[in-house]
Amino acid sequence: MPCSFLNSRIIVLASLLYLLCASVPHARADENPAAATVPSDREVLLSQGESIWKMKCAECHGANGEGVEQLYDKALAGDETVGQLAELIDRTMPEGAPEECQGDDAVAVATWIHEAFYSEAARLRNRPPRITLTHLTSNQLQQSLADLYGRFHGNMPLEEQRGLRAEYYNGSSRNKNNLKMERIDPVVNFDWGTWGPGNGISKDAFYVYWQGGLKVEESGQYEIIMRSTAAFKMDFGRFGRLFIDNHVQSGDKSEFRKTVNLLAGRVYPVKIDLYQRKRKTEQPPVSARLSWVAPHGIEEVIPERNLIPVSPPPTFALQTKLPPDDRSYGYDRGLAVDRSWDESTTLAAAEFASVAISELWPDYQRSHNEDPDENRAKLRAFVAILAETAFRGPLSDDEKKFYVDDQIDATKDDTLAIQRCLLTILKSPRFLYPELDRDRSVSQRVANRLALVLFDSLPSDKVLLDAVSKNELETDEQIRQMAERMVNDYRCEGKMHEMLFEWLNLSHIGNIAKDSEQFPNFNKELVADLRTSLKLTLDEAVIDGESDFRQLFDANWLYTNSRLADFYGDNWTSPATEPEAVKMEVKESSSDSPAFAERPPHRASEDYYGLLPVNSFVKSEASPPYNRGILSHPYLMSGLAYNDTSSPIHRGVFLIRYMLGRTLRPPNAAFTPLSADLHPELTTRERVALQTGEESCQVCHSKINGLGFTLEGFDAVGRFREMEGEKPINSHGSYIDRNGQTISFNNAKDVAEYMAGSDDAHRAFVHRAFQHFVKQPAAAYNPAAMDELINEFRSDQFDLRKLVVDVAVVAANPTYLNPLPPASPSPDSTTSN
Amino acid sequence: MTHYYSRRDFLRNTGLSALGIHLAMGLPSFASSDVTPKNRKQRLIFVFSPNGVIPDHFWPDTVGADFQLKRILEPLAPFQDQTITMKGVCNLIRGDGDGHMRGIGCLLTGIELFPGDIQGGSDTPAGWSMGISVDQYLKNQLQANPATQTRFGSLEFGVMVPERADTWTRLSYGGPNQPMAPIDDPYQMFDKLYGQQKNREMLASVLDGLQDDYKRLSTMISSEDRAMLEEHLEMTRQLEKDLQVELSAGKRDGAESGDSVGHAVPTLPANVEEQNDNMPLLTKMQIDLLVNSFAADFARVGTFQITNSVGQPRMKWLGIDEGHHTLSHEPDSNEESYEKLIKINTWYCEQVAYLAKRLAETPEPGADGSMLDNTTIVWTNELGKGNSHTRHNIPFVMIGGGLGWKTGMAYDYKKVPHNRLLMSFCDAMGHPVESFGNPDFCSEGILTGLA
Repeated sequence: MPCSFLNSRIIVLASLLYLLCASVPHARADENPAAATVPSDREVLLSQGESIWKMKCAECHGANGEGVEQLYDKALAGDETVGQLAELIDRTMPEGAPEECQGDDAVAVATWIHEAFYSEAARLRNRPPRITLTHLTSNQLQQSLADLYGRFHGNMPLEEQRGLRAEYYNGSSRNKNNLKMERIDPVVNFDWGTWGPGNGISKDAFYVYWQGGLKVEESGQYEIIMRSTAAFKMDFGRFGRLFIDNHVQSGDKSEFRKTVNLLAGRVYPVKIDLYQRKRKTEQPPVSARLSWVAPHGIEEVIPERNLIPVSPPPTFALQTKLPPDDRSYGYDRGLAVDRSWDESTTLAAAEFASVAISELWPDYQRSHNEDPDENRAKLRAFVAILAETAFRGPLSDDEKKFYVDDQIDATKDDTLAIQRCLLTILKSPRFLYPELDRDRSVSQRVANRLALVLFDSLPSDKVLLDAVSKNELETDEQIRQMAERMVNDYRCEGKMHEMLFEWLNLSHIGNIAKDSEQFPNFNKELVADLRTSLKLTLDEAVIDGESDFRQLFDANWLYTNSRLADFYGDNWTSPATEPEAVKMEVKESSSDSPAFAERPPHRASEDYYGLLPVNSFVKSEASPPYNRGILSHPYLMSGLAYNDTSSPIHRGVFLIRYMLGRTLRPPNAAFTPLSADLHPELTTRERVALQTGEESCQVCHSKINGLGFTLEGFDAVGRFREMEGEKPINSHGSYIDRNGQTISFNNAKDVAEYMAGSDDAHRAFVHRAFQHFVKQPAAAYNPAAMDELINEFRSDQFDLRKLVVDVAVVAANPTYLNPLPPASPSPDSTTSN
Repeated sequence: MTHYYSRRDFLRNTGLSALGIHLAMGLPSFASSDVTPKNRKQRLIFVFSPNGVIPDHFWPDTVGADFQLKRILEPLAPFQDQTITMKGVCNLIRGDGDGHMRGIGCLLTGIELFPGDIQGGSDTPAGWSMGISVDQYLKNQLQANPATQTRFGSLEFGVMVPERADTWTRLSYGGPNQPMAPIDDPYQMFDKLYGQQKNREMLASVLDGLQDDYKRLSTMISSEDRAMLEEHLEMTRQLEKDLQVELSAGKRDGAESGDSVGHAVPTLPANVEEQNDNMPLLTKMQIDLLVNSFAADFARVGTFQITNSVGQPRMKWLGIDEGHHTLSHEPDSNEESYEKLIKINTWYCEQVAYLAKRLAETPEPGADGSMLDNTTIVWTNELGKGNSHTRHNIPFVMIGGGLGWKTGMAYDYKKVPHNRLLMSFCDAMGHPVESFGNPDFCSEGILTGLA
């Protein structure tokens, strides 16, 4: 008779149990065994428990509690606490001889099995990697709805030109006969005084029409601010969708603000009609400025690089607030199923329905004017397109009946019918759980993966849908070609931006503020400029142009503007330091000629009357010590620092965890750094060494400090220094890699060179890319996937775009897609009867 | 916290008789209608129609209680004893803007327009009003007090208001330079009022089918993954139960309190487009929504703006093809136009009468009497007379007992600034003010002899 151990509360999850081979429960492959460790009490207890287990328990329960046939074949798993387990063991185990394991011994065994395999946390730790069913993350939900809308209007192709298309008219209406000037305005920041836009345009009554797209690279809340002393109307998101209505110029009201949630990788149509009307009284002066406050930014004139002078297709951005996703794996996953998430999906469906009713349905009716409409055939066809797109595949008869016909037949009112349909469609399993597509064709499933991986969205582009309908996404070659095409898309670029921010862990940097006495002028404007400068550096290194990961550590350029140049000095002054390049001078206006600004040389052929200078960024050659890419960038260096001193610990942790992808345990307790005032004789490095000198600290700090010290050349605001107080900076350090090799560094330059060529850094970057794009563990696809991707990354000269293609090809590969469980009949055959 | 749907519910649930509750709680009687209770609901609705009236067929010939309704006001005959006509109230605000602009922009605000760039046919250009309008002022006061707070405070209805925000299309102001856009699409208004509830009803009706689909699709995944879908299903089942409780509570409320209003969601005719010829139907739909939402106590102040200042409805259903504003410029000697203008204004009056009728038919929720007993409709206009553009003798006709003024009366105040009437509204709603709008027109205080 086998022992009946814990039979009352055992949850049998044999299939979940994966044998834990390591002897120490928390051992990780990258822990350095050489590091001097004083075992904690708990560690002693655990090893004690393990040895008792091996001697007295494993015979019946198996080495890892998995069970032993004939003796006790159930796996040990459950939710008893350590205390409860200990009590039970004390009383009952080993069976027949409970006196052999009592008191402290029972506690030790209970502690060890709880930690090693029994508890839910342990089972999660031991689970083999697999592709898990998840629902759409909040970002995926928003992007999917944007493309569901886009299914009817297409998507924005890449475009080189920047600025807004502008038309200037005589008279206060947009009358073709009075068109005086057409051009591309770099930004909207004009002061025309009482002179009008120049070029012979009447100063009493004129009309300016701006049109283009607003390119958004980071998701979040944007405040759009239009300042105008003349009447204007602004459409946003779609031409004809009124966003700010100042049809009447009234009193001194000249500032109009509106906050809107926008998505990375999207281009939003913008149109402004501005008009100075003729009046019987004196004409007041006219100025117009279009600015924004982007996430983490300050108010600034919307930069030229974010404006595109074309007519982007209409688009949709969800405004409903969605709850944050589970990030327990280090990246967003749709795992939480609760009422607040469910409620938010209802509100999102209602919001989408309202835009479908006001825009998509009238559009559809207009473009299908000639179609027969018997028994509301048009409405049915329209809703069927929505459902097919949302479900990422064709509708079965049952689905068509429930999601389309039943809901339409439930009400005579077309508006209510669309609401019903969309509420049902957008709350369905097919839409919310993209993995529920195992009954689809191979090409369809591949397309679904590609859209999810590359755009966080669903397939809605014509090219992709055509490939599905022709079954042309089955071979590696076909998949790769499609992925290569999709990588060159703003949506994928938006996702790359987000990945780089995650790789740099920027969301943890928050608001950077510094001691204002020590660092005057280090203000929020400067911080916003630094962030932009870093972003432009990232763009240039791996997104725009020649993408090469190594440039992140050896960029020979930097992006600067006048404010950064003033603060960081000569290294940050543009080489082409003509003031026009950074600052545009406004010429003095005299009483009889309008003010105008001189443009930089590449635009000298045109005069832009009244255009006011903006503090724009220029690319400039980087000189040492600021030529180490992100590692010498003041945004990161000041973010990884205290308000008055540098922080080798923050910098070291950043390098180990994020740049090198190694794991660190959290500190034993929260420590306040030693005060510089109490140790005036010590440098920052010496204070850190003093505080972390204890052996228990050194387990981790021997790794952290050695890396963090190498960046001591940059002070709390990221300015280079050779001295700290009276003492010269010591930036020597070292790192022991995954293979146990010790590498020594003299300074940031050495670290940066190491990062560019290091296996660990490459692995960390590729791993981050896989997590961010796929949101599933790489090993679930193919145990060798990570190594193969790293090798391809190297042979592709570290090109991020190519890496993303490789990642997508792995994630979309039909051989790795979860098959239908063999036992289950296909759903269609069960339901069509 | 317990909510009682009606006084009867309250008494039944607390086990107190009407007498007992007075003794127990020392509350003033709220059963008796001749003592105005302190906590009675007071409602105020401004109805706007444009382009002036034909005074000879509008104003009664005599003042006092014994007056004869003229042709245009004839539709109000059933409510004559609840009606007040108030001649002699003048919009004396000067400053920027043409007559129509100041007519509508200063009507409820009592203050000048800002200089701006909207150039009318005459006078100087202007922008928005420099001050808050009386409906919004009262809304803010009511919303500041938990006892009179409602879900929306105020509702701004429109009928065929052009898709254009300018001084001619805005009646109500939240403050200086803050015009309030009326909602003239009944479906949009419906969505604002009942959208959430309607959504929940819809959701409740499709959850069953969705659950089937979750079950069906869960067969295609592994048992581990199925656990997540089961969690989802379980949550959906719980939601379904909760929705059933929530929605049936709403229905019981409507049924047991004995009045038809309850919180029942009204039904609108389907697919009515916003176009000129649908104006009668749109008006009716909006009035029904207004009555329903006020019965549900969503708001106690409202504006109901039919078209706009210089509005151009073509009342083909009356056999009139010309636009109203165009006709209003014709001299009185043009008999044909004159007759058409009377008909047009009579049609507006019919709409006001329909609103009064709906309110009179609706029992006051939680109290005796009808909603009209506790609601005053103020029907007004931006001009006294169309072809002269005068803002003297602005049409002010009031129906109902919301303000507690003596009704069944015709007044002629000869020539008083309309600011004093705006002050009187505030006073009667329990929020007296020293002045409203431009203080220069307020020195003589509220109008006397009304209560």
